Amino acid sequence: MTTPDNTPRPDVDRDDAMIAAEWALGLLEGEELLAARGKYATQADFAERKEWWDRWFAPLTDAMPGAEPGAHVWDGIAARMAAQQVVADAPGSQTLPPSNVVALEARVRRWQWIAGLSSAAAAAAIALLAFAPNNAPVEAPGAAPTQFAAAAPMVATVPIGDAGLRLDVTYIPDSEQMLVAAIGLTADGVHDHELWLVPADGGALQSLGVVAPGKVRSMAVSQAITAKLGDGSSLVLTREPIGGKPEGADAGPVVAKGAFTRV
Amino acid sequence: MAARPRPTSDEAREALRAAMARLADGDQSALEEIYRATRMKLFGICLRILGDQKEAEDALQDVYINLWQRADRYDPARASPIAWLAAFARNRAIDRLRTGKVRSGAVPVEEAAPLPDHSPLADALLIDAEQAAQIHTCLRGLDDRTQGHIRAAFFEGQTYAQLAEAADVPLGTMKSWIRRGLMRLRACLEASEAV
Repeated sequence: MTTPDNTPRPDVDRDDAMIAAEWALGLLEGEELLAARGKYATQADFAERKEWWDRWFAPLTDAMPGAEPGAHVWDGIAARMAAQQVVADAPGSQTLPPSNVVALEARVRRWQWIAGLSSAAAAAAIALLAFAPNNAPVEAPGAAPTQFAAAAPMVATVPIGDAGLRLDVTYIPDSEQMLVAAIGLTADGVHDHELWLVPADGGALQSLGVVAPGKVRSMAVSQAITAKLGDGSSLVLTREPIGGKPEGADAGPVVAKGAFTRV
Repeated sequence: MAARPRPTSDEAREALRAAMARLADGDQSALEEIYRATRMKLFGICLRILGDQKEAEDALQDVYINLWQRADRYDPARASPIAWLAAFARNRAIDRLRTGKVRSGAVPVEEAAPLPDHSPLADALLIDAEQAAQIHTCLRGLDDRTQGHIRAAFFEGQTYAQLAEAADVPLGTMKSWIRRGLMRLRACLEASEAV
Protein backbone atom coordinates (compact mmCIF):
# COMPACT_ATOMS: atom_id res chain seq x y z
CA MET A 1 0.00 0.00 0.00
CA THR A 2 1.44 3.39 -0.91
CA THR A 3 0.85 6.27 1.37
CA PRO A 4 1.75 9.91 1.16
CA ASP A 5 3.71 9.75 4.37
CA ASN A 6 6.25 6.99 4.19
CA THR A 7 9.17 8.92 5.54
CA PRO A 8 10.30 7.49 8.82
CA ARG A 9 9.83 10.20 11.35
CA PRO A 10 12.89 10.83 13.44
CA ASP A 11 10.72 9.77 16.28
CA VAL A 12 12.72 8.96 19.39
CA ASP A 13 9.88 6.74 20.50
CA ARG A 14 10.23 4.31 17.65
CA ASP A 15 12.89 1.98 18.89
CA ASP A 16 12.74 -1.77 18.46
CA ALA A 17 10.50 -2.13 21.46
CA MET A 18 7.97 0.12 19.79
CA ILE A 19 8.20 -1.85 16.56
CA ALA A 20 7.56 -5.03 18.54
CA ALA A 21 4.45 -3.41 20.02
CA GLU A 22 3.22 -2.25 16.63
CA TRP A 23 3.76 -5.71 15.22
CA ALA A 24 1.97 -7.41 18.08
CA LEU A 25 -0.97 -5.10 17.52
CA GLY A 26 -0.92 -6.08 13.85
CA LEU A 27 -0.16 -2.64 12.44
CA LEU A 28 2.86 -3.48 10.35
CA GLU A 29 2.73 -4.36 6.69
CA GLY A 30 5.03 -4.67 3.72
CA GLU A 31 8.73 -4.10 4.26
CA GLU A 32 8.31 -3.18 7.89
CA LEU A 33 6.58 -6.46 8.56
CA LEU A 34 9.35 -8.39 6.84
CA ALA A 35 11.99 -6.50 8.80
CA ALA A 36 10.19 -7.24 12.06
CA ARG A 37 10.05 -10.95 11.25
CA GLY A 38 13.74 -10.90 10.52
CA LYS A 39 14.47 -9.24 13.83
CA TYR A 40 12.27 -11.74 15.62
CA ALA A 41 14.31 -14.58 14.22
CA THR A 42 17.67 -13.07 15.04
CA GLN A 43 17.31 -10.81 18.08
CA ALA A 44 16.33 -12.38 21.37
CA ASP A 45 15.34 -9.15 23.09
CA PHE A 46 13.14 -8.15 20.19
CA ALA A 47 11.47 -11.58 20.19
CA GLU A 48 10.96 -11.35 23.92
CA ARG A 49 9.33 -7.95 23.66
CA LYS A 50 7.03 -9.13 20.90
CA GLU A 51 5.95 -12.10 23.00
CA TRP A 52 5.49 -9.86 25.99
CA TRP A 53 2.96 -7.81 24.03
CA ASP A 54 1.33 -10.95 22.66
CA ARG A 55 0.77 -12.23 26.18
CA TRP A 56 -0.71 -8.95 27.33
CA PHE A 57 -2.97 -8.54 24.31
CA ALA A 58 -4.15 -12.16 24.36
CA PRO A 59 -6.95 -11.63 26.92
CA LEU A 60 -8.58 -9.14 24.56
CA THR A 61 -9.48 -12.08 22.34
CA ASP A 62 -11.98 -13.16 24.98
CA ALA A 63 -14.22 -10.44 23.60
CA MET A 64 -14.27 -12.14 20.19
CA PRO A 65 -17.24 -14.52 19.96
CA GLY A 66 -16.33 -18.13 19.34
CA ALA A 67 -17.60 -19.92 16.27
CA GLU A 68 -17.76 -23.51 15.06
CA PRO A 69 -15.54 -24.21 12.06
CA GLY A 70 -16.64 -26.66 9.36
CA ALA A 71 -15.97 -30.33 10.03
CA HIS A 72 -13.61 -30.52 7.08
CA VAL A 73 -11.07 -28.40 8.94
CA TRP A 74 -10.22 -31.24 11.29
CA ASP A 75 -10.42 -33.64 8.39
CA GLY A 76 -7.68 -31.73 6.63
CA ILE A 77 -5.54 -31.53 9.73
CA ALA A 78 -5.87 -35.27 10.36
CA ALA A 79 -5.01 -36.02 6.76
CA ARG A 80 -1.90 -33.87 6.91
CA MET A 81 -0.83 -35.48 10.17
CA ALA A 82 -1.37 -38.97 8.88
CA ALA A 83 0.52 -38.24 5.70
CA GLN A 84 3.47 -36.65 7.44
CA GLN A 85 3.51 -39.34 10.07
CA VAL A 86 3.96 -41.94 7.38
CA VAL A 87 6.96 -40.00 6.15
CA ALA A 88 8.39 -39.27 9.56
CA ASP A 89 7.71 -42.64 11.11
CA ALA A 90 10.97 -44.20 12.04
CA PRO A 91 11.90 -47.20 14.15
CA GLY A 92 12.99 -46.30 17.62
CA SER A 93 10.15 -43.93 18.43
CA GLN A 94 8.22 -46.39 20.56
CA THR A 95 5.86 -43.84 22.02
CA LEU A 96 4.35 -43.20 18.62
CA PRO A 97 1.70 -45.50 17.29
CA PRO A 98 2.59 -47.17 14.00
CA SER A 99 1.72 -45.12 10.98
CA ASN A 100 -1.02 -47.47 9.86
CA VAL A 101 -2.84 -46.94 13.14
CA VAL A 102 -2.60 -43.20 12.77
CA ALA A 103 -3.83 -43.44 9.21
CA LEU A 104 -6.65 -45.72 10.28
CA GLU A 105 -7.76 -43.37 13.03
CA ALA A 106 -7.63 -40.43 10.69
CA ARG A 107 -9.66 -42.41 8.19
CA VAL A 108 -12.34 -43.30 10.67
CA ARG A 109 -12.66 -39.65 11.56
CA ARG A 110 -12.75 -38.75 7.91
CA TRP A 111 -15.81 -40.88 7.37
CA GLN A 112 -17.42 -39.60 10.50
CA TRP A 113 -16.97 -36.03 9.42
CA ILE A 114 -18.09 -36.76 5.90
CA ALA A 115 -21.20 -38.53 7.10
CA GLY A 116 -21.97 -35.55 9.27
CA LEU A 117 -21.70 -33.02 6.50
CA SER A 118 -24.98 -31.48 5.48
CA SER A 119 -23.92 -31.03 1.91
CA ALA A 120 -23.61 -34.19 -0.12
CA ALA A 121 -21.70 -32.16 -2.67
CA ALA A 122 -19.01 -31.38 -0.14
CA ALA A 123 -18.65 -35.07 0.60
CA ALA A 124 -18.28 -35.80 -3.06
CA ALA A 125 -15.67 -33.10 -3.46
CA ILE A 126 -13.62 -34.49 -0.63
CA ALA A 127 -13.97 -37.98 -2.02
CA LEU A 128 -12.97 -36.82 -5.45
CA LEU A 129 -9.87 -35.19 -4.04
CA ALA A 130 -9.06 -38.27 -2.08
CA PHE A 131 -9.51 -40.81 -4.82
CA ALA A 132 -8.79 -39.12 -8.09
CA PRO A 133 -5.43 -40.41 -9.26
CA ASN A 134 -2.54 -37.98 -9.03
CA ASN A 135 -4.69 -35.50 -7.28
CA ALA A 136 -4.13 -36.24 -3.64
CA PRO A 137 -4.75 -33.15 -1.53
CA VAL A 138 -1.69 -33.75 0.57
CA GLU A 139 1.57 -32.02 -0.03
CA ALA A 140 3.91 -34.39 1.73
CA PRO A 141 5.82 -36.15 -0.99
CA GLY A 142 5.14 -39.83 -1.33
CA ALA A 143 2.76 -39.91 1.58
CA ALA A 144 -0.63 -39.54 -0.01
CA PRO A 145 -0.98 -42.97 -1.61
CA THR A 146 -0.19 -44.68 1.66
CA GLN A 147 -2.72 -42.61 3.46
CA PHE A 148 -5.56 -43.03 1.05
CA ALA A 149 -4.89 -46.65 0.30
CA ALA A 150 -6.09 -47.19 3.83
CA ALA A 151 -9.51 -45.68 3.15
CA ALA A 152 -12.39 -48.14 3.19
CA PRO A 153 -14.89 -47.36 0.50
CA MET A 154 -16.43 -50.11 -1.57
CA VAL A 155 -14.96 -50.37 -4.99
CA ALA A 156 -16.04 -52.13 -8.14
CA THR A 157 -13.93 -52.47 -11.20
CA VAL A 158 -15.87 -53.09 -14.36
CA PRO A 159 -13.58 -54.15 -17.20
CA ILE A 160 -14.95 -53.28 -20.61
CA GLY A 161 -14.02 -55.70 -23.36
CA ASP A 162 -10.41 -56.68 -23.52
CA ALA A 163 -8.98 -53.36 -24.59
CA GLY A 164 -7.98 -52.39 -21.05
CA LEU A 165 -10.87 -49.98 -20.71
CA ARG A 166 -12.64 -50.09 -17.43
CA LEU A 167 -15.06 -48.37 -15.16
CA ASP A 168 -14.04 -47.74 -11.58
CA VAL A 169 -16.96 -47.31 -9.27
CA THR A 170 -16.40 -46.18 -5.71
CA TYR A 171 -19.10 -46.03 -3.11
CA ILE A 172 -18.38 -43.84 -0.13
CA PRO A 173 -20.03 -45.32 2.93
CA ASP A 174 -22.87 -43.26 4.37
CA SER A 175 -22.47 -40.52 1.82
CA GLU A 176 -25.09 -41.55 -0.75
CA GLN A 177 -22.50 -40.64 -3.31
CA MET A 178 -20.93 -42.86 -5.86
CA LEU A 179 -17.93 -41.97 -7.92
CA VAL A 180 -17.86 -43.36 -11.41
CA ALA A 181 -14.63 -43.06 -13.31
CA ALA A 182 -15.13 -43.91 -16.94
CA ILE A 183 -11.60 -43.15 -17.95
CA GLY A 184 -10.71 -44.41 -21.40
CA LEU A 185 -14.31 -44.77 -22.47
CA THR A 186 -15.18 -42.54 -25.39
CA ALA A 187 -18.55 -41.44 -26.64
CA ASP A 188 -19.50 -42.84 -30.03
CA GLY A 189 -22.25 -40.29 -30.55
CA VAL A 190 -24.87 -42.99 -31.05
CA HIS A 191 -24.93 -44.79 -27.74
CA ASP A 192 -24.75 -44.08 -24.06
CA HIS A 193 -23.79 -46.58 -21.43
CA GLU A 194 -25.99 -47.05 -18.43
CA LEU A 195 -24.81 -48.50 -15.16
CA TRP A 196 -26.99 -50.84 -13.12
CA LEU A 197 -26.73 -52.22 -9.66
CA VAL A 198 -27.61 -55.90 -9.32
CA PRO A 199 -28.60 -56.18 -5.67
CA ALA A 200 -27.03 -59.00 -3.68
CA ASP A 201 -30.54 -60.08 -2.59
CA GLY A 202 -31.54 -60.90 -6.14
CA GLY A 203 -33.97 -57.98 -6.41
CA ALA A 204 -34.64 -55.89 -9.47
CA LEU A 205 -31.86 -54.03 -11.20
CA GLN A 206 -31.47 -50.43 -10.09
CA SER A 207 -30.29 -47.86 -12.56
CA LEU A 208 -27.35 -45.79 -11.46
CA GLY A 209 -27.62 -43.61 -14.50
CA VAL A 210 -25.73 -42.98 -17.66
CA VAL A 211 -21.97 -42.83 -17.35
CA ALA A 212 -20.01 -39.88 -18.64
CA PRO A 213 -17.30 -41.17 -20.99
CA GLY A 214 -13.80 -40.06 -20.13
CA LYS A 215 -14.84 -38.42 -16.88
CA VAL A 216 -14.72 -39.00 -13.17
CA ARG A 217 -18.11 -38.03 -11.93
CA SER A 218 -19.91 -38.30 -8.65
CA MET A 219 -23.54 -39.32 -8.72
CA ALA A 220 -26.08 -39.22 -5.97
CA VAL A 221 -27.58 -42.58 -5.11
CA SER A 222 -30.73 -42.92 -3.10
CA GLN A 223 -30.93 -44.74 0.17
CA ALA A 224 -33.09 -47.36 -1.51
CA ILE A 225 -30.05 -48.21 -3.55
CA THR A 226 -27.37 -47.94 -0.91
CA ALA A 227 -29.44 -50.19 1.34
CA LYS A 228 -29.01 -52.96 -1.22
CA LEU A 229 -25.34 -52.30 -1.63
CA GLY A 230 -23.11 -54.85 -0.03
CA ASP A 231 -20.07 -56.95 -0.52
CA GLY A 232 -20.67 -58.95 -3.67
CA SER A 233 -23.28 -56.62 -5.14
CA SER A 234 -22.57 -56.53 -8.80
CA LEU A 235 -22.77 -53.93 -11.48
CA VAL A 236 -23.59 -54.27 -15.13
CA LEU A 237 -23.07 -51.79 -17.89
CA THR A 238 -25.52 -51.82 -20.77
CA ARG A 239 -25.42 -50.14 -24.14
CA GLU A 240 -28.43 -47.88 -24.65
CA PRO A 241 -29.62 -45.17 -26.98
CA ILE A 242 -28.37 -41.67 -26.19
CA GLY A 243 -29.91 -40.58 -22.90
CA GLY A 244 -30.18 -44.07 -21.45
CA LYS A 245 -32.80 -46.78 -21.49
CA PRO A 246 -36.12 -45.40 -22.76
CA GLU A 247 -39.13 -45.80 -20.50
CA GLY A 248 -40.88 -49.07 -21.16
CA ALA A 249 -38.15 -50.51 -23.34
CA ASP A 250 -35.96 -53.43 -22.37
CA ALA A 251 -32.45 -52.67 -21.30
CA GLY A 252 -29.82 -52.93 -24.00
CA PRO A 253 -27.10 -55.54 -24.22
CA VAL A 254 -24.78 -55.97 -21.26
CA VAL A 255 -21.31 -54.88 -22.29
CA ALA A 256 -19.50 -55.25 -18.98
CA LYS A 257 -19.85 -56.59 -15.45
CA GLY A 258 -18.14 -56.12 -12.11
CA ALA A 259 -18.71 -56.61 -8.40
CA PHE A 260 -18.20 -54.50 -5.32
CA THR A 261 -15.57 -55.39 -2.79
CA ARG A 262 -14.70 -53.62 0.39
CA VAL A 263 -11.23 -52.19 0.19
CA MET B 1 -17.99 -33.48 20.16
CA ALA B 2 -18.63 -35.80 23.03
CA ALA B 3 -20.65 -34.41 25.85
CA ARG B 4 -18.67 -34.32 29.01
CA PRO B 5 -19.31 -33.04 32.46
CA ARG B 6 -18.61 -29.36 32.51
CA PRO B 7 -15.03 -28.94 33.63
CA THR B 8 -14.02 -26.06 35.76
CA SER B 9 -11.80 -23.41 34.34
CA ASP B 10 -8.82 -24.78 36.25
CA GLU B 11 -9.46 -28.32 35.06
CA ALA B 12 -9.82 -27.18 31.47
CA ARG B 13 -6.65 -25.15 31.69
CA GLU B 14 -4.75 -28.02 33.27
CA ALA B 15 -6.04 -30.52 30.68
CA LEU B 16 -4.94 -28.19 27.92
CA ARG B 17 -1.54 -27.64 29.48
CA ALA B 18 -1.06 -31.42 29.74
CA ALA B 19 -2.15 -31.92 26.14
CA MET B 20 0.30 -29.27 24.96
CA ALA B 21 3.08 -31.00 26.86
CA ARG B 22 2.15 -34.36 25.32
CA LEU B 23 2.10 -32.82 21.87
CA ALA B 24 5.56 -31.36 22.42
CA ASP B 25 6.68 -34.87 23.36
CA GLY B 26 5.44 -36.16 20.03
CA ASP B 27 2.06 -37.58 21.06
CA GLN B 28 -0.13 -36.78 18.09
CA SER B 29 -3.38 -37.77 19.73
CA ALA B 30 -2.90 -34.68 21.88
CA LEU B 31 -3.59 -32.46 18.90
CA GLU B 32 -7.14 -33.70 18.57
CA GLU B 33 -7.76 -33.00 22.22
CA ILE B 34 -6.35 -29.50 21.82
CA TYR B 35 -8.46 -29.00 18.71
CA ARG B 36 -11.65 -30.06 20.43
CA ALA B 37 -10.99 -27.79 23.34
CA THR B 38 -9.86 -24.69 21.49
CA ARG B 39 -11.20 -24.73 17.94
CA MET B 40 -14.20 -22.51 18.63
CA LYS B 41 -12.19 -19.83 20.35
CA LEU B 42 -9.42 -19.87 17.77
CA PHE B 43 -11.87 -19.99 14.88
CA GLY B 44 -13.71 -17.04 16.37
CA ILE B 45 -10.44 -15.11 16.34
CA CYS B 46 -9.62 -16.03 12.74
CA LEU B 47 -13.14 -15.19 11.64
CA ARG B 48 -13.08 -11.84 13.37
CA ILE B 49 -9.78 -10.85 11.79
CA LEU B 50 -10.38 -12.27 8.32
CA GLY B 51 -14.11 -11.67 8.00
CA ASP B 52 -14.51 -14.64 5.69
CA GLN B 53 -15.53 -18.17 6.57
CA LYS B 54 -13.34 -19.93 4.05
CA GLU B 55 -10.26 -17.84 4.76
CA ALA B 56 -10.78 -18.27 8.46
CA GLU B 57 -11.05 -22.04 8.07
CA ASP B 58 -7.86 -22.13 6.03
CA ALA B 59 -6.14 -20.02 8.66
CA LEU B 60 -7.41 -22.30 11.42
CA GLN B 61 -6.11 -25.40 9.70
CA ASP B 62 -2.80 -23.66 9.25
CA VAL B 63 -2.74 -22.81 12.96
CA TYR B 64 -3.13 -26.40 14.13
CA ILE B 65 -0.77 -27.90 11.59
CA ASN B 66 1.82 -25.34 12.58
CA LEU B 67 1.18 -26.08 16.20
CA TRP B 68 1.66 -29.76 15.61
CA GLN B 69 4.87 -29.26 13.66
CA ARG B 70 6.34 -26.87 16.17
CA ALA B 71 4.72 -27.72 19.48
CA ASP B 72 8.02 -27.18 21.24
CA ARG B 73 7.71 -23.43 20.71
CA TYR B 74 5.22 -23.15 23.51
CA ASP B 75 6.85 -22.46 26.85
CA PRO B 76 4.49 -23.26 29.72
CA ALA B 77 6.58 -21.18 32.09
CA ARG B 78 5.79 -18.01 30.16
CA ALA B 79 2.16 -18.07 29.15
CA SER B 80 -1.02 -19.99 29.75
CA PRO B 81 -1.67 -22.33 26.84
CA ILE B 82 -4.89 -20.66 25.80
CA ALA B 83 -3.32 -17.19 25.87
CA TRP B 84 -0.46 -18.44 23.76
CA LEU B 85 -2.76 -20.23 21.33
CA ALA B 86 -5.00 -17.19 21.03
CA ALA B 87 -2.02 -14.96 20.20
CA PHE B 88 -0.71 -17.59 17.81
CA ALA B 89 -4.03 -17.81 15.98
CA ARG B 90 -4.43 -14.06 15.76
CA ASN B 91 -0.88 -13.66 14.46
CA ARG B 92 -1.46 -16.26 11.76
CA ALA B 93 -4.73 -14.62 10.76
CA ILE B 94 -3.06 -11.19 10.59
CA ASP B 95 -0.24 -12.69 8.51
CA ARG B 96 -2.84 -14.01 6.11
CA LEU B 97 -4.55 -10.64 5.98
CA ARG B 98 -1.24 -8.93 5.18
CA THR B 99 -0.37 -11.26 2.33
CA GLY B 100 -2.98 -9.35 0.38
CA LYS B 101 -5.05 -12.31 -0.72
CA VAL B 102 -7.85 -11.43 1.59
CA ARG B 103 -10.10 -8.47 1.23
CA SER B 104 -10.40 -7.23 4.74
CA GLY B 105 -13.92 -7.31 6.03
CA ALA B 106 -15.29 -8.75 2.81
CA VAL B 107 -18.07 -10.45 4.73
CA PRO B 108 -19.73 -8.81 7.69
CA VAL B 109 -18.63 -10.77 10.70
CA GLU B 110 -22.12 -10.91 12.14
CA GLU B 111 -23.33 -12.75 9.07
CA ALA B 112 -20.40 -15.07 8.73
CA ALA B 113 -20.15 -16.16 12.33
CA PRO B 114 -22.67 -18.60 13.68
CA LEU B 115 -23.10 -18.29 17.38
CA PRO B 116 -21.23 -21.02 19.19
CA ASP B 117 -23.09 -23.90 20.71
CA HIS B 118 -21.70 -23.51 24.11
CA SER B 119 -18.91 -25.99 24.35
CA PRO B 120 -18.06 -26.37 28.00
CA LEU B 121 -14.35 -26.38 27.39
CA ALA B 122 -14.49 -23.28 25.25
CA ASP B 123 -16.45 -21.52 27.96
CA ALA B 124 -14.00 -22.59 30.56
CA LEU B 125 -11.04 -21.48 28.53
CA LEU B 126 -11.12 -17.82 29.12
CA ILE B 127 -7.77 -16.27 29.56
CA ASP B 128 -6.42 -15.60 32.99
CA ALA B 129 -8.81 -13.21 34.64
CA GLU B 130 -6.21 -11.17 36.47
CA GLN B 131 -4.21 -10.54 33.36
CA ALA B 132 -7.36 -9.71 31.44
CA ALA B 133 -8.42 -7.19 34.03
CA GLN B 134 -5.03 -5.49 33.90
CA ILE B 135 -4.92 -4.94 30.15
CA HIS B 136 -8.44 -3.55 30.26
CA THR B 137 -7.53 -1.23 33.11
CA CYS B 138 -4.47 0.03 31.28
CA LEU B 139 -6.40 0.50 28.03
CA ARG B 140 -9.04 2.48 29.83
CA GLY B 141 -6.29 4.73 31.12
CA LEU B 142 -5.76 5.99 27.58
CA ASP B 143 -7.84 8.77 26.09
CA ASP B 144 -10.91 7.51 24.26
CA ARG B 145 -9.61 8.32 20.83
CA THR B 146 -6.33 6.46 21.23
CA GLN B 147 -8.05 3.56 22.92
CA GLY B 148 -10.50 3.32 20.05
CA HIS B 149 -7.73 3.18 17.46
CA ILE B 150 -5.76 0.56 19.36
CA ARG B 151 -8.87 -1.57 19.72
CA ALA B 152 -9.65 -1.20 16.02
CA ALA B 153 -6.14 -2.37 15.20
CA PHE B 154 -6.47 -5.35 17.49
CA PHE B 155 -10.02 -6.43 16.70
CA GLU B 156 -10.33 -5.49 13.04
CA GLY B 157 -6.73 -6.08 11.98
CA GLN B 158 -6.46 -2.52 10.65
CA THR B 159 -3.18 -1.00 9.56
CA TYR B 160 -1.95 2.52 10.31
CA ALA B 161 -3.00 3.57 6.83
CA GLN B 162 -6.52 2.20 7.24
CA LEU B 163 -6.91 3.79 10.64
CA ALA B 164 -5.66 7.14 9.34
CA GLU B 165 -8.07 6.99 6.44
CA ALA B 166 -11.00 6.07 8.65
CA ALA B 167 -10.19 8.90 11.04
CA ASP B 168 -9.41 11.27 8.17
CA VAL B 169 -6.08 12.35 9.59
CA PRO B 170 -2.60 12.23 8.07
CA LEU B 171 -0.79 8.95 8.43
CA GLY B 172 1.94 10.54 10.54
CA THR B 173 -0.65 11.85 12.97
CA MET B 174 -2.19 8.42 13.41
CA LYS B 175 1.23 6.88 13.96
CA SER B 176 2.06 9.44 16.63
CA TRP B 177 -1.24 8.91 18.42
CA ILE B 178 -0.89 5.17 18.51
CA ARG B 179 2.79 5.15 19.42
CA ARG B 180 2.17 7.47 22.32
CA GLY B 181 -0.68 5.23 23.37
CA LEU B 182 1.47 2.11 23.15
CA MET B 183 4.16 3.75 25.26
CA ARG B 184 1.66 4.61 27.97
CA LEU B 185 0.17 1.17 27.74
CA ARG B 186 3.56 -0.41 28.18
CA ALA B 187 4.38 1.76 31.18
CA CYS B 188 1.05 0.86 32.80
CA LEU B 189 1.49 -2.87 32.17
CA GLU B 190 5.08 -2.88 33.40
CA ALA B 191 4.05 -1.04 36.52
CA SER B 192 1.53 -3.79 37.21
CA GLU B 193 4.21 -6.45 36.74
CA ALA B 194 6.52 -4.76 39.23
CA VAL B 195 3.94 -5.06 42.02
